[in-house]
Amino acid sequence: MTPEQIITEALDSYESLLISYAREITGELESAKDAVQETFLRLSSQNLNVLQPRLRPWLFVVCRNCALDHVRKIVKFSADPIEDHERASDDPGPDERAMVSEDGKRIWDLVAGLPLQQREIVKLKFEAGLSYKEMAETLKTSVSTIGVQLHEAMQTLRARWTCETTEVA
Amino acid sequence: MDLRNHGGSMNQDPRITAYATGELEGREREVFESELAASDSLHREVESMSGLAKQLASAAKPTDRFTEDERSRLLAKCAATRRSRTLAKNSLKVVLWTTVGVAACLIIFAGLVGIIGQNSSPFMMANRMAVEPPAEGLPRAAASHAAAPQTAREPSKTAPQASQSLPEVEVRAAVPVPDVSDMVALQAQTERIVMPKAAPAMKPQALALRRQVAAPQDEEALMELQARHSRVAELEQIVSTPSEFNTEAYAAVRENEFVTAKDNPLSTFSIDVDTASYSNVRRFLDDEIRPPAGAIRTEELINYFRYNYPQPTGDDPFSVNLEVSRAPWNPERELVRIGLKGRELPAEERGPANLVFLIDVSGSMDEPNKLPLLQRSLSALVENLSDEDRVAIVTYAGSSGLVLAPTEGAKKREILEAISNLRAGGSTHGSEGIRLAYETAREQFHEDGNNRVILCTDGDFNVGVTNESELQKLIEKERESGVFLSVLGFGTGNLNDSTMELLANKGNGNYAYIDSISEGRKVLVEQMGSTLFTIAKDVKIQVEFNPARVAGYRLIGYENRLLAKEDFNDDKKDAGEIGAGHTVTALYEIIPVGQAVPGSPSVDPLKYQRPEEDSASASNELLTVKLRYKAPDGDKSKLIEIPLEADEIPAFDAASEDFRFASAVAAFGMKLRGSPDAGKITWSQIQDIARGALGNDPGSYRAEFLTLIEKAKTLGSNGIE
Repeated sequence: MTPEQIITEALDSYESLLISYAREITGELESAKDAVQETFLRLSSQNLNVLQPRLRPWLFVVCRNCALDHVRKIVKFSADPIEDHERASDDPGPDERAMVSEDGKRIWDLVAGLPLQQREIVKLKFEAGLSYKEMAETLKTSVSTIGVQLHEAMQTLRARWTCETTEVA
Repeated sequence: MDLRNHGGSMNQDPRITAYATGELEGREREVFESELAASDSLHREVESMSGLAKQLASAAKPTDRFTEDERSRLLAKCAATRRSRTLAKNSLKVVLWTTVGVAACLIIFAGLVGIIGQNSSPFMMANRMAVEPPAEGLPRAAASHAAAPQTAREPSKTAPQASQSLPEVEVRAAVPVPDVSDMVALQAQTERIVMPKAAPAMKPQALALRRQVAAPQDEEALMELQARHSRVAELEQIVSTPSEFNTEAYAAVRENEFVTAKDNPLSTFSIDVDTASYSNVRRFLDDEIRPPAGAIRTEELINYFRYNYPQPTGDDPFSVNLEVSRAPWNPERELVRIGLKGRELPAEERGPANLVFLIDVSGSMDEPNKLPLLQRSLSALVENLSDEDRVAIVTYAGSSGLVLAPTEGAKKREILEAISNLRAGGSTHGSEGIRLAYETAREQFHEDGNNRVILCTDGDFNVGVTNESELQKLIEKERESGVFLSVLGFGTGNLNDSTMELLANKGNGNYAYIDSISEGRKVLVEQMGSTLFTIAKDVKIQVEFNPARVAGYRLIGYENRLLAKEDFNDDKKDAGEIGAGHTVTALYEIIPVGQAVPGSPSVDPLKYQRPEEDSASASNELLTVKLRYKAPDGDKSKLIEIPLEADEIPAFDAASEDFRFASAVAAFGMKLRGSPDAGKITWSQIQDIARGALGNDPGSYRAEFLTLIEKAKTLGSNGIE
């Protein structure tokens, strides 16, 4: 594949996944798009033949860095930095997603209530389909940490789901 | 959907989720499955988790996309980046080819010819190529490569892509070196190193070149080339990307301009003993890239070198050495040097060191020039510890922890072991780690000792829980308790230069950038006395110029160390520290009376102001240097005052070796950042001055500087200026 093909194909396959992931960190769509755009510009300056086998984790690592850069910039310039950032990232706002079922939508609403790192892991796992190893690379942590965190996230989700459905019933 | 946990209590075993999401493999999976068969509750747990996982995976597919417009603009930008990338590689190409050598070229062509059109295993080909004589000449090899862009195996799907690749071809054709793209070559090398099994995707040319440059005996040289290649790409990106996206941050430094002595008789600044800028500049030049102006702090370049100023004789902790001569870049002007030399403390007179290394072990440190370099540098330091010194190690990443409790210098083996066990991994939470480090240092606080936290990082330490000002406040608070902070920077790309310098300054410490084991040794071993042992703090310099002799002046460097004149006597105002044996050098360029001061607005002479002609201004004094400093544990400053008398300004050649060398470094810094004040001095002239002032040069640091000028010279003549 030519470099241009690699880039176009990567854009087609990962655009939405990356935007969604970046949004988890930045908290809103426009800055998420900026982060993804920057990710692809950085991709263009890479040696693509070398990169290709680990393209997927690479994209998520760089996208994450770009999104965090964005958050840091906000932290630097806003008067009430930490709180602003927390507010932004804790309230990702309504996601544009094609929901298959009502249950699916509700469970993802619950995901929004998880701590940031667990949200990232859940997204990377179930949206982007990354393996534990790829997630560890993306989040610069160990595979076992990913395992523990994801399990914790799942436990919390299940508990809240049970609680919600019981209440409704 | 019923996901209730029928097993009752929450099961904390992460294998459940791993199994439910298909992540459990091999032996682990077998063990888990046998447990699963034996336990109903575990079985139900897995079922309920699998249900949840399925629900999560099937429900959500995000649909946010770029608009058509955004998308086409992005792809155009990507294509532009590719093109400039290819252009930028041309300089590398030359390096590559000189490395491989002409003989190798010939063999490559032979290999190329032998390989084209064949489909056998790359490794077999490689073997056969080794015995094939260089049979055919240049024309065919060149022709076969020229045809390469058209013979790409997969035809382009869309027209725009095909046209985007065109400029690359043109660039290749314009370069008069053997016509195998270095990019392909480097990709080939990298492929071999990174993933030896990925050969089939390679183009035949790449394969041929790989055979040549990747011969086993060259493996090490290759690794180096490859590392360099990626470093160059990284640095290029740093230089070329707009600062908003650039995580390697350099605060803009505007050079001090000339001011008139009449309107600004006082010049006040804090001393700076940092040297990081020098190694950083060296890193850029080593990679044949002109460093961004903000990365060049001239005073740090000058202070990288030791100068042979005499030891202090009286009670003062340092000696003050003034010298004046002509500016080598403009003989009409004068150059005044202020040189401080901290008292040297023999090892036995130093209080014991209480050091806590706060080490960033986040994933980003997992690069050869980061954690492994840090480990080697630290091990060198440990070898030089005295028995009473204490070392502790705190790491920070996803969680922070005390890796090594405070351990006496006598137990070197234990410390070394802890160092060699450091592993990178995890994200960064600097603030928790720094609290733990300070706590550890305070627990072991030594009244007469050197109590210090040494932060070792690649700069990415304020993710998540903290912000910069909070961190600064913490460091300032701890400074009061007598625990100081030094910062050692590693690696490239994420380096937050200005933040690290700022933090070190807040913590009464210094900031050094370590790019090689020799630099690690210099900072941690050779300079341990001065880097780590403060003999005076809050050292401020105020120079009063005599307007009867001086029309205008300019402080060279120290741009981010300038103080208001009122700050000089204000003991609450923080300033730089000087360590045992340290030298600090500052240079002023002076325009003598009678010459115009550039940039100073012409104002009609004032009617009611009369120049005061008192005895002092009529004297032969050029200026008076005033210094204020505090003892390391003191709150009240002491004042030193020294006038500089000069009837005749000696010629530059007659100046001392140290003076001439410092001038050369200053000229280097000025010219490198394209300062108009550098005048017409050439790189060769700078080099001549430096070469003539090497002195006895222990450690050969000055000699190394000559090679740096050489590199700057090449960059200049290439028109990259």
